[in-house]
Amino acid sequence: MKNFLQVVTFSLLVIASFAAYASFGIPRIKPAPPPVEEKLDLGAMTMDQFIAVGEKVFNGKGTCTLCHNSMGRAPMLDKVVSISDSRMKDARYKGEATSIVEYIRESMVKPSAFVVAGFGKAGSNDSESPMPDVSGGGIGMSEAEVLAVIAYLQDLGGVEVTVEIPTDVPEESSDDEEGDGEARAPYESAEAIIEELTCGMCHMIGEEEGEMGPDLRTIGALRDKDYLRRAIIDPNAEIAEGFDADMMPDTLGDDLSAKEMEMLVDYLAGLK
Amino acid sequence: MNICYKRIIYGALLLALFALILTPGIVPGTDAGFAMAADEVQVADIAADATVADAIATDATVAPAYPPAPKLTAADYPTIKGINSRIVVWIVAQLHLWFAAFVLAVPIFVFIIECIGMKTRDQRYDNMAHEFIKVSITAYSLTAILGGLLVFSLVLFYPDVFRYMSTIFKESMFAYALLFFAESAVLYIYYYGWDWLQGGNKKWVHLTLGLLLNAVGTMLMFQANAWVTFTMSPAAVDAAGVFNGDVWAAIHNFLWNPINIHRVVANVAYGGSVVGAYAAFKFLSAPNKEARAHYDWVGYNANFIAICALLPLPFAGYYLTAEIYAYSQQMGITLMGGVFAWLFIIQAVLIGTLFLSANYYLWCGMGRSDGANRYYPYLKYLAIVIVGAFLVWFTPHTLVLTNGELKSLGGPYHEYLGKFGIMPAKNTAVNIMILFTALSFVFYRRCNKISTVSWAPAGNAAVVALFVAGIINILILGVYYGYFTNTVYKVAASIPQVLTTLVIIVTALTLDSFMYKGAKEVAPLHWGRVSNRSQYALFLLAVAFTWLMGLMGYIRSGIRQHWHVSGIFRDASVDAYTPDLSFAANTVSVATILFMAMVIFVFWLAALSTRKTDASKYWMGQKS
Amino acid sequence: MSMTKKRLIPRLLQFALVIAGVYFGFVLLFDVILGALIPKSLLSMYMFFVIAGTFMVFTCTEESAREMVDPIKALVEDPSKKIVRNIVYAVLPLLAGAYIFTSLQLSFEAPVELRSIHPAPPASLKAYGKRFDLATLENPYRKLEKSDPEKFKKLVFEGGEVYIKNCQYCHGDRLDGKGPYADGLNPTPLNFQDVGTIAQLQESYVFWRIATGGPGLPKEAAPWISAMPVWEDFLSEDEIWKVILYLYDYTGMRPRSWKHE
Repeated sequence: MKNFLQVVTFSLLVIASFAAYASFGIPRIKPAPPPVEEKLDLGAMTMDQFIAVGEKVFNGKGTCTLCHNSMGRAPMLDKVVSISDSRMKDARYKGEATSIVEYIRESMVKPSAFVVAGFGKAGSNDSESPMPDVSGGGIGMSEAEVLAVIAYLQDLGGVEVTVEIPTDVPEESSDDEEGDGEARAPYESAEAIIEELTCGMCHMIGEEEGEMGPDLRTIGALRDKDYLRRAIIDPNAEIAEGFDADMMPDTLGDDLSAKEMEMLVDYLAGLK
Repeated sequence: MNICYKRIIYGALLLALFALILTPGIVPGTDAGFAMAADEVQVADIAADATVADAIATDATVAPAYPPAPKLTAADYPTIKGINSRIVVWIVAQLHLWFAAFVLAVPIFVFIIECIGMKTRDQRYDNMAHEFIKVSITAYSLTAILGGLLVFSLVLFYPDVFRYMSTIFKESMFAYALLFFAESAVLYIYYYGWDWLQGGNKKWVHLTLGLLLNAVGTMLMFQANAWVTFTMSPAAVDAAGVFNGDVWAAIHNFLWNPINIHRVVANVAYGGSVVGAYAAFKFLSAPNKEARAHYDWVGYNANFIAICALLPLPFAGYYLTAEIYAYSQQMGITLMGGVFAWLFIIQAVLIGTLFLSANYYLWCGMGRSDGANRYYPYLKYLAIVIVGAFLVWFTPHTLVLTNGELKSLGGPYHEYLGKFGIMPAKNTAVNIMILFTALSFVFYRRCNKISTVSWAPAGNAAVVALFVAGIINILILGVYYGYFTNTVYKVAASIPQVLTTLVIIVTALTLDSFMYKGAKEVAPLHWGRVSNRSQYALFLLAVAFTWLMGLMGYIRSGIRQHWHVSGIFRDASVDAYTPDLSFAANTVSVATILFMAMVIFVFWLAALSTRKTDASKYWMGQKS
Repeated sequence: MSMTKKRLIPRLLQFALVIAGVYFGFVLLFDVILGALIPKSLLSMYMFFVIAGTFMVFTCTEESAREMVDPIKALVEDPSKKIVRNIVYAVLPLLAGAYIFTSLQLSFEAPVELRSIHPAPPASLKAYGKRFDLATLENPYRKLEKSDPEKFKKLVFEGGEVYIKNCQYCHGDRLDGKGPYADGLNPTPLNFQDVGTIAQLQESYVFWRIATGGPGLPKEAAPWISAMPVWEDFLSEDEIWKVILYLYDYTGMRPRSWKHE
């Protein structure tokens, strides 16, 4: 028994010294956590989860609620699924959709296929929609996200969800080891920024004639650079007379680099 | 008549066994030969199809459709409250692996020892082989229990992973399960038939059974290896993980053979070290001189087996690493240059420990004969070279420097020590370490004898010249090719280095055996006359080996990082992150302690069968 | 067995002398003769195994082991050594205490930061608005070394110009990491002449490190204290490939490659 205890003690000491060396004898490096996967795990998703994704995109990345809200900038979408059929039969309809899903999809990527009366671009007599293509540039929803939003809208409208969860959508920005998300190319000019961020939706600027926000065509004569910069970064800090608070997104400061911000401010200040 | 009858029985028995082994082999993808034959048939079929009628559906439509690798979320991993599923699977798999390694290794050297016994007609060998296999019998059932536990844990905690793997390896898994019948049958007949199958032809039958046992065991391991290596270097699947139906390609993936070789060699070394620890314990608690002598001798043989397998092991390891690099540079750098770089420092320390304790055991063992006095003065030179080579071996590439040292050196690279950090230095060092360990063994063999052949001085000179020339060759290969040529030659130079080492060892030992044929014994070898200290070297060997295997299991699995199957099946569980070294070392330590406890139980069981209590008064009708 | 002869130096003292000798030998060799000090962390590991090895030699025979242990046994048990024993019993705890006291002393030295010098590269890299697959990425000019040595020479020369205009301030005009600004940097710039740097790497790896610089290091290589700029912003893709040619050409190293030449 004495031998046995001695041997056991010896072995335990050896193990302990190995463990101690591994813990204290060498520098500790914490391995990097697995890269965050932005892409959707579609294969393993239930419909409820898919709808939840759609809701998240609708309220977040998609920036849909910027206009599709109770302020009347764009039609409300809670009943869109139930009126789609009548829309497709409408004489003014220019699209090719044959089902609800296709119709909604089309209205997201080709918004001008049908413009609800009174919501068209100013001067276009409701033939052209002010809405951007959600799959392109500034919003950049993936095919899966578009479908998820449709699923969400169907669910919202209280009808049966007929969207199928895609299994093999091409992945954009696949495994990004650095996890820095999608890196966009920097904007080249202030015009490009205004175009991409769809400022003209609400403001009068250049050719655009939005009416939700102050006229920017001669803003440089009225406001200095500091005011403009603050108005972009924190729009609610001071509301121009005659306009509502909480209309302008307050995320522009996050979306633009410092260089781009200065480019935009310089441009606006130069509009006199 | 009687003999004839028996021969028929033996023949039938053997045939039945062969049939048992071959049956699973017919299932596609279990055996190289059969699968290749199947491949050829398939190719021929396709060719025929193409020529006869192009319109006939290609095999794409015929082949069963396999699902892509599932994309999981954390919710897909069942949990049991209070249990960390990864640690459970980790520890169970490791325990299973240790036992399996032991159980597979023991028959390999039991077979060899039995052969030696047959050749020399020295019954001690036969008894020793019998005792070893007795120890492994209980370990065998523990292996199976742990294997079952492992499958349960996988099905419980990682059902999707298991399902995915089993869709690809369904034939091979089924064959694996069936093969266990063959393994059990052969093992039990081999063990229980030991005393029955003695002498003459019967012994040959028994030996054949031993060979069969090893064949089945190796086949089992190779199959399990295929599943493991598939998760590292998946083959026969596309980027989405859709299996193309070629089972043999999935089995014969890039890392399969490197792992096979590495594991077979390591298993033998490991089995030897565990049996050595068993003998050491028996030695320490031996009640009399005879038992001490016996277990000293057993321990010596076990250690000999362990060292023999230990010598080529670093080369098998380098081969595996080189193949991992060749498979994927990213995996290779993750292995050697990233987070795991420090693990190899620990590994180097542990392997150094193995070599040092093996040498120490040999040196202590020289005390069995008084003739060893002639060789003691040389031991310090052996020690200097072995320790020196070892120091080079574990000098890390990235040194841990304080800021003061960093400033003083002018950077993280050390002008002189930095040169020890890269592979050529380490290859050279390990070759020299192995050569000098072999030299220790040569000294040990000679310690009680004096050569009587006329050419002994010439023979000695030849051995010395061999070692000197070999070491110079190794140094030139390491220094010139390692530092002054490009990568291809750097890596390629390690092969002639290895060959040099192996040639020296084999030639020196052969020469030695001729020189000492019929040699005069200057002082008898007293088995049992060895210090207790030396037995602790055997324990150190076994414990260090076990721990090291656990650690290497961590890295083998760890280099997949956050993938179940490298690059195609992502691990989305909460435990997808790679644990750090300290955490891994602690887990391995706990597992090692569990394993030791189980091994002690196994050894105790082996001893239990020989114990008898006299209870004659207890039973009716017996008089005391 | 009984031939214990009187030794000039007792075995235990020999043991201590050997270890001390090796220790000071290391210090003398590296710190004084070679002028490149031996790191403390490494020296302590070295000494651990030197002690183990020496212990093995000194205890492998019974008599030698006894000679080692006897003085210690005598010190503990022999009544005539009472005074020495008491002194040892008093000094040992004091030494241990002093060691612990000094090692717990706070110092002003910043904690050791370990940087992984060759962190594992990502599978692919984003630069110049496109994605490079590091596993297959090759230097487009490397093949010219064989097919058009004249052109290759010219490219190396152009790479040298890029180097001198951009890199030598830190990495040095001899590529030894001792540029004019090197002293101000910690970690110091890489020494490309060292066998442990570019000679161990594929050109795709070097491209990755140059293009994304210190900020592009993966998290495991943190802290990101490398001053290496993101050269993608300053050099063209072409210039990086040329400067890589120059790095290997000047140092005489070959990039890590699995191809036979």
